[in-house]
Amino acid sequence: MSLRCPNSVLALAMIAALCSCDREERQTRGKPLGETIPTVASPDTIFPGRATPPPLDPRAAQYEGNASAIAEGQRLYNWMNCAGCHFHGGGGMGVALMDDKWRYGGRIDQIAASILEGRPNGMPAWRGKLTEQQIWQLAAYVRTLSGQERKDAVSARADEVSNTPPQTQTKREPLRPADSDQQ
Amino acid sequence: MQRGGAYLSLCVTSCAGVQNAFGGQGAEDANFVRLFAVFMVVCTVMYLIVSAALVIAVWRRRQATLTIEDRKHHETSAATRPALIVWTVLIAVGLVGLTIASFFTDRSNAANGSKPRLSLTVTANQWWWDVEYNSPDASKIVRTANEIHLPVGVPAQVTLKSNDVIHSFWIPNLAGKQDLIPGRVTDAQLLPRKTGLFRGQCAEFCGVQHAQMALDVTVESKAAFDRWYAAQLQPGRPPANPLQLAGYRYVTTRECSSCHNISGTPAGGHVAPDLTHFASRRSIAAGALPMNRGNLYGWVADPQSQKPGNHMPTVGLAANDLHAIVAYLEALK
Amino acid sequence: MPGKDYASTRFSGLRQLTPQNVGDLQVAFTFSTGTTEGFEAPPLVVNKTMYVIAPWPNNVFALDLTKPGAPAKWTYEPKPAAAAKGVACCGPVNRGAFYSDGRLFLNLLDGNTVAVDANSGKELWRTKVADINKGETLTMAPLVADGKVLVGNSGGEMGVRGWLTALDATSGKLAWRAYSTGPDKDALIGSDYRAPYPQDQGNDLGVRSWGPDQWKIGGGTVWGWLSYDPELKLVYYGTGNPGPWNAEQRPGDNKWTAGIFARDVATGHARWFHQSTPHDLFDHDDINESILVDWPAPNGQRIPALIRPSRNGYLYIQDRRNGRILSADPYGYINAYNGVDLKTGRIIPVPEKEPKEGRVVRNICPGPPGAKDWNPSAFSPVTGLVYIPHLNICMDMGIKNANYIPGTPFVGADVKMYPGPGGNRGVFTAWDPVARRKVFEIKEDLPLWSPALATGGGLVFYGTMDGWFKAIDARSGKLLWQFKTGSGIIGQPISYRGPDGRQYIAVPSGVGGWAGAIVSADLDERDPTAALGFVNAMKDLKKRTTKGGTVYVFALPK
Repeated sequence: MSLRCPNSVLALAMIAALCSCDREERQTRGKPLGETIPTVASPDTIFPGRATPPPLDPRAAQYEGNASAIAEGQRLYNWMNCAGCHFHGGGGMGVALMDDKWRYGGRIDQIAASILEGRPNGMPAWRGKLTEQQIWQLAAYVRTLSGQERKDAVSARADEVSNTPPQTQTKREPLRPADSDQQ
Repeated sequence: MQRGGAYLSLCVTSCAGVQNAFGGQGAEDANFVRLFAVFMVVCTVMYLIVSAALVIAVWRRRQATLTIEDRKHHETSAATRPALIVWTVLIAVGLVGLTIASFFTDRSNAANGSKPRLSLTVTANQWWWDVEYNSPDASKIVRTANEIHLPVGVPAQVTLKSNDVIHSFWIPNLAGKQDLIPGRVTDAQLLPRKTGLFRGQCAEFCGVQHAQMALDVTVESKAAFDRWYAAQLQPGRPPANPLQLAGYRYVTTRECSSCHNISGTPAGGHVAPDLTHFASRRSIAAGALPMNRGNLYGWVADPQSQKPGNHMPTVGLAANDLHAIVAYLEALK
Repeated sequence: MPGKDYASTRFSGLRQLTPQNVGDLQVAFTFSTGTTEGFEAPPLVVNKTMYVIAPWPNNVFALDLTKPGAPAKWTYEPKPAAAAKGVACCGPVNRGAFYSDGRLFLNLLDGNTVAVDANSGKELWRTKVADINKGETLTMAPLVADGKVLVGNSGGEMGVRGWLTALDATSGKLAWRAYSTGPDKDALIGSDYRAPYPQDQGNDLGVRSWGPDQWKIGGGTVWGWLSYDPELKLVYYGTGNPGPWNAEQRPGDNKWTAGIFARDVATGHARWFHQSTPHDLFDHDDINESILVDWPAPNGQRIPALIRPSRNGYLYIQDRRNGRILSADPYGYINAYNGVDLKTGRIIPVPEKEPKEGRVVRNICPGPPGAKDWNPSAFSPVTGLVYIPHLNICMDMGIKNANYIPGTPFVGADVKMYPGPGGNRGVFTAWDPVARRKVFEIKEDLPLWSPALATGGGLVFYGTMDGWFKAIDARSGKLLWQFKTGSGIIGQPISYRGPDGRQYIAVPSGVGGWAGAIVSADLDERDPTAALGFVNAMKDLKKRTTKGGTVYVFALPK
């Protein structure tokens, strides 16, 4: 390669490198037929005889920390009235979601299973009322309420008025490692 | 002047009549077309004079060979001074004329909008329009989506709001653009003068599907409008056969009811277009697809392929459910 | 009955305890229910037995007062569905049972009304009247009159349609149901209905004062107090807030929510209705108690009246035969209304305080729990004063589009509450209804969420949310005695004569309800909008009290 214009070569190389940088993958359609939340994702259970718990659902990695999924989850959180019981994480009719106490598990697949199936003590079951892609998006957003996601993936203000400061400006306390085997 | 302007506009535009800023079917747009014609004439005349002056100057320069040493290079033609005076007067008259024309256009628009007899509220969402006809009697409020019907000759006041980002309300045949800004209330006045079918469009970039956020506008006689309004007040038609009943059951208990509203049924969602009289509309998904059975199947089965990124999810319906849902939706006239 | 009598005076005629000896009051015995949700129901004492009604799971205990320590004779465990807790807006509470004819009648959270034999604890009948899948629950104390059990539903924040149902007391079968919204035939408004003011008279106002179909999810629940006049045979009750809280979504006056009904107890037909707060903007339910008294008019006549300290901040005195307002005076700090027009009976709103979509309106007083929430006041015929435990809370409110999904909240508001002017969140007021003014006032740091009790000996009892149970002088308001119970008090104190002839005072202690949810539901105080905004006003409560569920019984030493 000619070195007569080293600066232009360098510039072209940088542009090429930046163009291949993908911040995250956005899937508008999801995988409607194949996507099922494994129902074995129950709260931290005793698995008699097993040395380690079963591996995490691979789909969890796709939604965990994904900024567009979290933003969609924030929209659905308000639209589907999750905010009506859980407010902005403080709780009310529903439990607080911004603390580190999880009755039914705080991993993304456990939260998704809670939303899908409902739980005793009053969490409604959303199976059939939301698609599973939407449920995963909600679970990703719920994780951000307790500060468990990367700061650069967390969504800023929602589109509605709010008496609470935006998530990007609030200090969240992280989950204590002892509470769950897998995070 | 009017006919000249109209001829000009015919020459200028070749786009379809439904979304045509030179259509002049609304009072405000008609004013705009008139004003546009005035501006065109005045500016064309000015342009021609300036071009002529330029041509003359270049030609005269080529004729004479004056040099710096020649004392006569300061010589001004006898015609220069009066020409300049006439030119200045022409500019002044032209500008004043344009200003007065603008002023009268504004006054005319304000007068047209001063006594509205119909009131609507349009709330823009990403990427659809929520339309509500206001009424002093609360039980006579009509709510629809992505379409506006207007009686001809009746001035209408449209209150504009937004639920998320800035959009812009633009029905080119009837009036100019007005932004819908979250947290603020703006308004627009419409006074349609001719009946017809028109198309409105969101005119402020509002996200990934901004391009597919259109409005179907129907301007009709007062009697036809009253008939339409009375039909809109009715609850959704109940299912008439077993397939529609299956569709009704799905729509009112499953994913659809989380977001959509159909009056008279348990589906009461407020975050998506109202579907009570869905099948009577001309298009699906805010102008994205014309309303017909095939498009309806395609839309319900996989909205993300038609309008990727919009907020209606692809559910992954089983075939029988899809048939039932489309059968029910088609009946919601 | 929870109100002590049909007139809801909450006045005990017992005179053993006086301002002179109340300082010697001490604990006689205690009883732990085993539950730690908000404990609101008063114990009922009938035939030497004390019946304790716990919040969810709504167990009922019958304590034998003749034996030392009052051991339980029987326990009734109705096992209501746990899922009901998910649709109970303000704690899975229960406001009490009603004893009549050897039977106890109470409501279970999951929508069933039951009748229990008072001697054996056996369930006689169970009738399902409300559906939790639509968001309905039952929390109120039923009223039994004229052979009917009157029950109202809860769920005004869940998009339900409010109603008052009458069940036959013997069989539990439905006798009539009067809806709070909808056509006249559903609201049981017929030819004998005469509204005191023209805005409440008309055809099908329960439909015409709403947008199309909105009355079906319009609220107007009946989760508060009922009073009954046995001579006029009218039952008086208030209807709850219209839904959603976002008033822009429901244009119109929204009848018949946030108002007072008088209904004939046999047929349920409405005799009159007055809407205290048309097109309510601030969750100002009208379910507060109506105390039935005879009120001396200026011309010397005695008018059968009702006194009600309403949630919107005005204390209404109305003629209970026809609903005409005799007076409506503010008993707390109000900046959201400019008074009540006595000619039209209509409240005058302040336009600047009206919330609009897309912006937050600040400093609205009184806030959503109103100048006083559900906790009822007491009336002493000895002093002639109404004793009102209430609130001084204001709010910032932003409204947004509410989506209706049955069984989920239908609110559309983002709220933050805080103390009103003066910094105190609670206040105890003694009001003279004839002179129409406050006689004395006690400022409390925490909101007062407990009802009051007045006794014939000249004492008034109430409890604070951090557990102090207080006795004050009925005439001067001077604090004479107080005792720190184990948990915040939000329940009704009662007084009874024990088998040994002594006067006993009993109070349930167990914090919860809407104001105490931060403790009873372990909410996070970092979110000011939690619990519909109450958490912002109660951030210190977790440090001042913990959950509990114990009945404390006091008496003078032998």
